[in-house]
Amino acid sequence: MHRAQRRLLVPAAVAASIALALTGCGASNFGGDSGGGETAEDGPIKIGAVLDITGVGANLGVPEQNTLNMLAEQLNADGGIDGREVELIIKDNQSTEDGAAKATTQLIENDDVDLIIGSSRTGPSLAMRPLVEAAQVPTISVAANAAIVDGSEWVFKTAQNDLVVLERILDDAESKGYTKIALVRDATGFGEGIADIITELGEERGITLTATESFEPSATDFTAQMTNIRAADADAVIIWGITPSAGLAQAAYVQLGVNKPVYQSHGVANDAFFEAAGPAADGVIAPMGRLLVADELSDDDPQKPVIDQFIADYSAEFGSSPSSFAGHAYDAWLVGTKAIEAAGTDPEALRDAIEATTDLVGISGIFTMTPENHSGLTADALIMALAEGGRWTLYEE
Amino acid sequence: MIDFLQLTVAGLSQGSVYALLAVGLIATYTVRHVVNIAQGDYATLAGLGSISLVTAGLPLPVAILIALISVTLASVLIERLVIARVKNLTTLVSIILTLGVSTLLQAIMLLIWGAEAKRLPAFPGSDLTLGGVSIRSQELWMLGALVVVGGGVLLFYEKTRWGKALRASAEQPVAARIVGISPAAASVIAFAIAGFVGATAGVVSSPIYLSIWSGGLLLGLKGFVAAVLGGLVSFRAAIVGALLLGIIESYVAGYVASGWKDAVAFFILIIVLIIRPAGLVLRPNAVRV
Repeated sequence: MHRAQRRLLVPAAVAASIALALTGCGASNFGGDSGGGETAEDGPIKIGAVLDITGVGANLGVPEQNTLNMLAEQLNADGGIDGREVELIIKDNQSTEDGAAKATTQLIENDDVDLIIGSSRTGPSLAMRPLVEAAQVPTISVAANAAIVDGSEWVFKTAQNDLVVLERILDDAESKGYTKIALVRDATGFGEGIADIITELGEERGITLTATESFEPSATDFTAQMTNIRAADADAVIIWGITPSAGLAQAAYVQLGVNKPVYQSHGVANDAFFEAAGPAADGVIAPMGRLLVADELSDDDPQKPVIDQFIADYSAEFGSSPSSFAGHAYDAWLVGTKAIEAAGTDPEALRDAIEATTDLVGISGIFTMTPENHSGLTADALIMALAEGGRWTLYEE
Repeated sequence: MIDFLQLTVAGLSQGSVYALLAVGLIATYTVRHVVNIAQGDYATLAGLGSISLVTAGLPLPVAILIALISVTLASVLIERLVIARVKNLTTLVSIILTLGVSTLLQAIMLLIWGAEAKRLPAFPGSDLTLGGVSIRSQELWMLGALVVVGGGVLLFYEKTRWGKALRASAEQPVAARIVGISPAAASVIAFAIAGFVGATAGVVSSPIYLSIWSGGLLLGLKGFVAAVLGGLVSFRAAIVGALLLGIIESYVAGYVASGWKDAVAFFILIIVLIIRPAGLVLRPNAVRV
């Protein structure tokens, strides 16, 4: 018997190392087929997309993939752009930075794409940035962190900046007289720098950050973080992450009896939040675009017709209503295709056309890009939503 | 103190999942010397399967029962179609084979259930608070499942004639055959047990930890670390090791940094393999069949 246990050593070590290496990478690639080598101005227009379709960003990437496929189909059914067919090539980055870099390189070198959309999350988007800047390919990210476009030349983005989201949260906190805030944030790119922004924005509002905890987006147990938050001295708590993790964090928060008001980010602007958080979601306030509270918008809201049409199309195609992330993809497609309509596929001209986007009504807001602002949305693009009875409701315009 | 106990509760419930998976791993290792990398995938398969059945309108207990039976059968099928086909099955070959099975299962789950995490409704019961420590009813279900299912397997292997016969077929295959124990039947039974135990872990944990196609590998590895703590032969030591692993993970997340949580298991694995390959087994030579 003793010998048998010695024998264990080698296989056990092999098993552990093989499997460890494998946990880092998913099993499947959802990427589309590679296209041919046409580069001419009259061939099909090639739009590449790098999305977090599998892995921790799946709640974001899947609806984004659905949206882009649907919009490409619609556009081609209408005759494409200037008679040119649009070829959409979607690649899965498996929610990893290296996956995003690999997919981007393939899109640039093998597929010779005219425009890239992606990634779904901040980390992979940041990994793509140096590649597309070097290759000079116009790129529109659908992730949030302002660092993605800070000082960029070729990269744009459509999700609301974390800065304006935090402004809305802290304004609300100030109006309610909160002076101490605790933060539980995503440990990856999306949560990077959030504590600094809160400290900075809080200063002028008399709000101090008293505790910070972080969690991996793949985490399933949040007892440790919430136990520490329970012990922290705070009037309100900001949970900053994406679903499902931020939803599970919310459930743990309520279960551990931390009875303080919670703000969440626009990273939970979908139904998956309610699936993960359950009844614990009730009472959460989060800034987000208008899509999820479309039925409460007034008829003279300029975004209403666009949003209603998108919800109708998406629901008819996929049998569920679109999330805010689907909306970010819609906006990236809208900004990109409008620019191609105006300027064609010459990279310089296309980049300039995207930068010249003005008052374009999308799902997440009304876009106006400038050389200094590659994000295009202001605080007006956000409403405050309240979680109530398993859905988001309009709390404050 | 309350925080400490709270972290302990979280660690125990997480550890109960590791423990069930470790029991499954040992069930097949003691009989076939197979290290089954797909053990964790049984859990996700059962979780996702029962979620679909509940969504289709079946009552929760019925959905869970069907999922448990199906995964048990799937495990037997894997034994018959893959494991049993290999003539000279060494532990190393079994690792590579079951790694392939695991990859295949994950791909199938991704195709059927998609990439997003899903949740099974919580089992009946109400959450309670004991002296400031909050305990979810689901956590009691998880610990209960460990006691009933894990304890049941332990007693079966160690106390019953059938269980002893299973172990005998691994230790002395020729002698076992002479006294009428079929190695093939023993193998099938061991895989059925592994499938059932893994599936149990999946359904009891899904309401808290959710089920996602890719979740099985890491879960199975944590179970494997616990099984190594049991020297891959002792159910008791593995269960104790699994609960300890869960608790240590929870303390590390609470008192050090949550980012270190997943590293704990593998740090322990390395230390154990170097210093004490027999794991937590107190008298390695005293294990009898």
